[in-house]
Amino acid sequence: MKFADIFKLSLNSLTHRGLRSWLTILGIIIGVAAVIAMLSISAGMSQNMQAQFSSFGTDVLTVSAGRTRAFGPEGGFGDRFQPGSSQSGTSGQTSQTTTTPTLTDKDILAISTADGIETVTGVISGRSTVQYLAQTVTVTVEGVDPAAWNTMTTSQLALGRFLELGDGNSVLVGNSIANGMFNYNLTENTPIRIGSKTFIIVGILKQSGTGSFGGDDRTIFMTIPAARQIVTGLDTDQYSSIQIKITDTNAVDQITQNVDQVLYSSRQVTADTADFTVTSPTSMLETIQSTMATLTFFLTGIAAISLLVGAIGIANTMFMSVMERTRLIGILKSIGTRNSEIMKLFITESGIIGLMGGLLGIFLGFIVVGVISSVGINIMGMGRMGTGTNTSVAVVTPELILFALLFSTIIGIISGLIPARKAANLQIVEAMRSE
Amino acid sequence: MNNVVIELQNVKKIYKMDGVETHALRGVDLQIKKEEFVAIMGPSGSGKSTLLHMIGALDKPTSGKVILDGVDISTMRESDLARMRGKKIGIVFQFFNLHPTLTALENIELPMIVVEKDKKERQQKARELLKAVGLEHRAHHFPSQMSGGEEQRIAIARALANDPEIILADELTGNLDTKTKAEIMDFLLKLQKEKKMTVTVITHEPEIAQYAEKIVHIVDGRIKVGG
Ligand SMILES: Nc1ncnc2c1ncn2[C@@H]1O[C@H](COP(=O)(O)OP(=O)(O)OP(=O)(O)O)[C@@H](O)[C@H]1O
Ligand SMILES: [Mg+2]
Repeated sequence: MKFADIFKLSLNSLTHRGLRSWLTILGIIIGVAAVIAMLSISAGMSQNMQAQFSSFGTDVLTVSAGRTRAFGPEGGFGDRFQPGSSQSGTSGQTSQTTTTPTLTDKDILAISTADGIETVTGVISGRSTVQYLAQTVTVTVEGVDPAAWNTMTTSQLALGRFLELGDGNSVLVGNSIANGMFNYNLTENTPIRIGSKTFIIVGILKQSGTGSFGGDDRTIFMTIPAARQIVTGLDTDQYSSIQIKITDTNAVDQITQNVDQVLYSSRQVTADTADFTVTSPTSMLETIQSTMATLTFFLTGIAAISLLVGAIGIANTMFMSVMERTRLIGILKSIGTRNSEIMKLFITESGIIGLMGGLLGIFLGFIVVGVISSVGINIMGMGRMGTGTNTSVAVVTPELILFALLFSTIIGIISGLIPARKAANLQIVEAMRSE
Repeated sequence: MNNVVIELQNVKKIYKMDGVETHALRGVDLQIKKEEFVAIMGPSGSGKSTLLHMIGALDKPTSGKVILDGVDISTMRESDLARMRGKKIGIVFQFFNLHPTLTALENIELPMIVVEKDKKERQQKARELLKAVGLEHRAHHFPSQMSGGEEQRIAIARALANDPEIILADELTGNLDTKTKAEIMDFLLKLQKEKKMTVTVITHEPEIAQYAEKIVHIVDGRIKVGG
């Protein structure tokens, strides 16, 4: 029998079983949709998180005070993503730094002696009220050294210019603050009141979708002297964090160790008692990636179980179908159909169920992903993430679609294998005796 | 010259079910010649159907030989045997012969699809056969929408689809009225003469057996000689 004819016969019996075929397909649809949704949400989340931490180039290390803020496995990674308040992480971090400031000019000096360092600069960060016309909001304020910061950031200008060394009352404003936070959008040369001082906006950053370390969409940048007037609690030689530009991105790990070493001796601590943390973009990414991998594995595992249930559904339907059609199998064989063709007939049937389930499952998966992207962002605790135009919560790739189709078809075929074998091995005479 | 189409040599068939052995055939020797019309008769349970299954290569004997067109079927591979069955033998069973989700016309076409005949050719042939059994008006009916007699006529048409050498029928007319029986048997006889086919039918009705040139009586798994 030609395969086209086998296919037609399979389709014929599937359509004649109408509702039952659809119910079986539904099992696969739900499984595939769940897997698609989970995989793409995971992919979207990890894309967002990676974007969050790349506001500086891969050649910038960050030194922060204390161990609890480390990006290690026991670190404060989780509390950056508390549901509903993406900014609380930043403010928590700042208040901690301002009450126990331990990074000073002395540390900057020490770091500058380490091998592989190009630039070292202190950063001051804190929260402050910002008033424009009749509205007041609270945002993150960062004091930076323009000479150093301008070489480190990956943020780009939408309007105006970056900060310059002598800028006493000039500020650079993150895109989300300039556009949408106030009733009237901020632009170049707009005066705004930060704390109790008035500043003039000299530049507005492009939307970057990146996080709390620099070119942030929700941060206002000013020079360090200006920031010291806004962010209280820091002595004149103290900083919230220190940023280091390194000479060789291939030696990130080595240079991180170098920095660790010089700080151990200057601060008179050991690796065990260290009261500071050096993080590199790569180490952050690694942590994010491994966290995401675990999450993806977990979510997809749950989805896979529903797919397995769907597969069992196919096997069950196919067994029933073989039993019901025992006599028909006998007839087909009596008119010359080979065992191998009977086998193909049933496998094609279950394969079609799998393929249909895959196709419709992808479709349903898309819908689920779309709904989650637009509604579920806050539920996922990623309020900040949905705001960027270049970020999305879920990503559906062509590879994922292809994989889902292939996978569901294979599931269908495998589920149909044993029932099909059973059908193929039926003896004609036995089959004809069944009513 | 050898004009034997089917030869059975000391064929025995034992069914084993739950440890119980049933001797359905106890050593049968039989020759069916080309263009012969043979009727197999015998009491219920005597082994008629079993014998027909052996003749049609639908089942393998427990011992003995079945030789079809000079070839011992026990030496054939399953896939070759299946195709040979499809091309050389046309079988009509007593009930439920048809594919339930195919129309009458599609059912007739099915054996030709199996042996991979050209699409145009098979569709034309199916229409011819449908006409020959007088059921053109039932072309697009499903088996469940036809009467028992109509179903059997479609089954005969299907058995003829690949121009087989041999037509086998098990109680073809068992549950039909006398008029329909006669119609079907006349049709079969006409075909046998026209197409020079070998026909073997099982029946327990003497009226049907009248059509045959040769009657094989089987009792308790053995052929009764001179019956
Ligand atoms: N598949 C089977 N398994 C076990 N026993 C079987 C099987 N097929 C037939 N038999 C037994 O073999 C014997 C012969 O059966 P067979 O069907 O050949 O009889 P028959 O002459 O066709 O009878 P009937 O006129 O009732 O159709 C019977 O005793 C039957 O019970
Ligand atoms: Mg019988």
